[in-house]
Amino acid sequence: MAAISYYASVLAIFACIYSIVTLGLNIQWGFSGILNFGVYAFVAIGAYTYALFTLGKPIPGASQTYILGLHLPFVVGLAAAAAAGGIVAWVLGAVALRRLRSDYLAITTIAFSQILWLIAGNETWLANGWDGVSGVPQPFNGLLKLSFNDYNFFFLGLSLVILVLVVWLAQLLLRAPFGRILRAVREDELVVESFGRNIASLKLRAFIIGAVLASIGGAMLAAYVGAFNPSAFLAGETFFVWAALLIGGSGNNWGAILGAVLVPVVFTEGTRFLPNIPSNPQLIEAFRYVIIGLLLILTLKFRPQGIIPERSDRFERAARRNRRLRSTPVPVDDAGEPPSA
Amino acid sequence: MSILLLSIGFGLITASVIAIAGVGLSLQFGVTNFVNFAYGDFMTLGMYLTLILGTALGLSVYAALPIVIVCTGLAGVLVNRLVLDSFVRKGANPIILLISTIGVSLIIQSGLLAVWGAQFQKFSLGPSQPLHLGPFIFTPRQLSILGLAVVAMVVIHVLLRYTRLGKAMRAMSDRRTLARVVGINTTWLTDWTWFISTAMAGLAGVVLAINIASFTPSTGFGFLLVIFAAVIVGGIGKPYGAMLGALIIGVITSVAASYMDSAYKDAVAFGVLILVLLVRPQGIFASRGRG
Amino acid sequence: MLEVRDVHKRFGGNKAVDGCSFTVEAQSTVGLIGPNGAGKTTTVNLISGRLPVDRGEIVFNGKPVQNLPMWRVARRGLTRTFQISRELRALTVMENMLIASQLQRYEGLVQTLFQLAAIRAAEKEVVRRAYELLELFQLTRLANQYAGNLSGGQKRLLELARSLMADPEMLILDEPLAGVNPTTARNIAEYIETMRSRGITLLIIEHNLTMVERLCERVIVMAEGSVLAEGNMKEIRENPKVVDAYLGTVV
Repeated sequence: MAAISYYASVLAIFACIYSIVTLGLNIQWGFSGILNFGVYAFVAIGAYTYALFTLGKPIPGASQTYILGLHLPFVVGLAAAAAAGGIVAWVLGAVALRRLRSDYLAITTIAFSQILWLIAGNETWLANGWDGVSGVPQPFNGLLKLSFNDYNFFFLGLSLVILVLVVWLAQLLLRAPFGRILRAVREDELVVESFGRNIASLKLRAFIIGAVLASIGGAMLAAYVGAFNPSAFLAGETFFVWAALLIGGSGNNWGAILGAVLVPVVFTEGTRFLPNIPSNPQLIEAFRYVIIGLLLILTLKFRPQGIIPERSDRFERAARRNRRLRSTPVPVDDAGEPPSA
Repeated sequence: MSILLLSIGFGLITASVIAIAGVGLSLQFGVTNFVNFAYGDFMTLGMYLTLILGTALGLSVYAALPIVIVCTGLAGVLVNRLVLDSFVRKGANPIILLISTIGVSLIIQSGLLAVWGAQFQKFSLGPSQPLHLGPFIFTPRQLSILGLAVVAMVVIHVLLRYTRLGKAMRAMSDRRTLARVVGINTTWLTDWTWFISTAMAGLAGVVLAINIASFTPSTGFGFLLVIFAAVIVGGIGKPYGAMLGALIIGVITSVAASYMDSAYKDAVAFGVLILVLLVRPQGIFASRGRG
Repeated sequence: MLEVRDVHKRFGGNKAVDGCSFTVEAQSTVGLIGPNGAGKTTTVNLISGRLPVDRGEIVFNGKPVQNLPMWRVARRGLTRTFQISRELRALTVMENMLIASQLQRYEGLVQTLFQLAAIRAAEKEVVRRAYELLELFQLTRLANQYAGNLSGGQKRLLELARSLMADPEMLILDEPLAGVNPTTARNIAEYIETMRSRGITLLIIEHNLTMVERLCERVIVMAEGSVLAEGNMKEIRENPKVVDAYLGTVV
């Protein structure tokens, strides 16, 4: 019994962390239509910053070399991670969002992510290179000194608190004029600009907020696992966040959370019944990726709005269905459909 | 000075690999108008196919080439028909198409991973003695890469200039709406475009594997950004631009690698890519900016 | 209010606007007519900031606005509509109206987090104004419908209502009557007259010359990128150059 609840709590913690990151991506893509394929770079920035702020001073001659090591508490580390993500997003966004159309922005964000990965791995003095940093202190455990199992539940509680705060923030933004104008930008930039809005500035703001959330997720990841290294943020990781968002339903916060819960759960549970072949340990993991890939394509094909569609989608489709059912002919004065976004 | 020339020489070989891949990608984008993120994985497919043919049928890498090229070409047509075509027909957003190609990429990579695992594979090629050609040092193997690239470029050139298919491709790329109106058979064109594009990918993959000696299921995908760099520098959708872009990227990264930590060789390509996207997204060689 | 001075714009080999100059007096209603390809929409794009000029000046309310980004021009009080209705489909009619209002200072991140009450209060006022306008255009019952579900005529009306919501000093209407049936056209013409009576300066691009005559005090005729003739409708009709430009079509 204890083993199952421990396992469930581990899954739940990862679901929380994943949700925070996916909510961040949702603000960028779901709300504002920004194609960010470098999400995990910001997770990494958050994770590394948190680690470097909370680790103790680097001991010369020891197994890891890194900068900083300020041994600050959890909250400060978290704030630093958020700030780091925000600053990098500001710089990247200010440069890239202004001019780039969607697919080029996607390529740029991947390129940026790869460059970051190379630097993290090769510059050993920065954060211990390819081996990464470890021994990141557990938040609050210095004070609480809980047993292994109990600490897990404590961290779950902590993650849930952070998640609730993030969801509250995301909902607030969605319902405010800010969220409304972002949705308008996603629909038709030209119209929004013709009503006096600075599109580049709006998109930048959305980009920064999303990045901050992703970095917070990264910080939580580093805090829980206690370590972080470049192999944790290969290019493929970003696509899982995307898969989570698209499958769960983009444009609304609940879909983001659903997807973030679904993908890791399917990931670990979906292959439970497959036998582990010792000669090829990669088989199970590979199958998981295949499943995610298939799920993504199937979702895009048959239910592109995701499991929980955005509010407007539901009403729009229902209304369209109703209009078709009414046999009155469409009036001739239809002045043509506007170009699709 | 000789180091510079040597690295330019290596750069030419790298450029050859990139050129083959870049031309295929450019052709496909020109006709279908969305970016295929699974392109690198067709390269990887070519590598592993060669491996199978080598171990199962004892074919040498070069002997297997024609089979590999045709097979990867067919794989591309299959993927398009199965997955992407239905999106295109529904008039889906290019972004949705882009993301579906990522799904395809994931599936191909993981499929390879499932069967072969993540360890490095090698072709069974014997040792190759370097030849001294003036200031350059090449192995015959590297020269074969150069030769294959030249042959591929010539074939593409002939295709584009003198065949009906090539003309249709150019029409579609330059004036999309007009081409549709004129009534080019899009199914025929799309099938052949995918065939040629992924066939080139397969060839590029084999050639890349020959050049870097070992590969894993993610090698092709990792190479994708470098290909993007070349294609975008040359102007996306322009095969001739891709050739020149490949030359530029190949030589620049090679020369840079000899002067800085070679681990950042790719980073140089990424840096050039970002720079070009920001400053001149239509590419260095575009006459009319069609970003 | 608006002065266009010797503006030029070229696209590759095509000179779309070739030395175009005209003025629009404050609170007047001016029509802009001309055959297709005369450069009318391009000129409007240049005025509104969607395109930069190659040469020339555009002065709005005494200040130069050429080459400014569209959003800056809009904030100075110049709003335009588009030839094809660009309603925001996934937003409701009310949301469409709210987008148009000058609520920019409430869309900041800091404001959203810390000044929520002030935002809510300001929104109430804006919503009230929106309902007033919707009432005027008889779209009130559609306020919570998604704009994508509206009929073509209703979308046109929404576009007009939206442009009024921005509280502009000058409004450029790009073919407001294109593709609508005669009844809706008459309705729209009435609404435009209402706008006139509110003191808004109007520049209207239109092909429907009957309506142009009804609504506009002055008419500017463009052809091949520059102004061919100006005057009231009667003068225009009798101008041989204009008749020539329209190739003898009914004037």
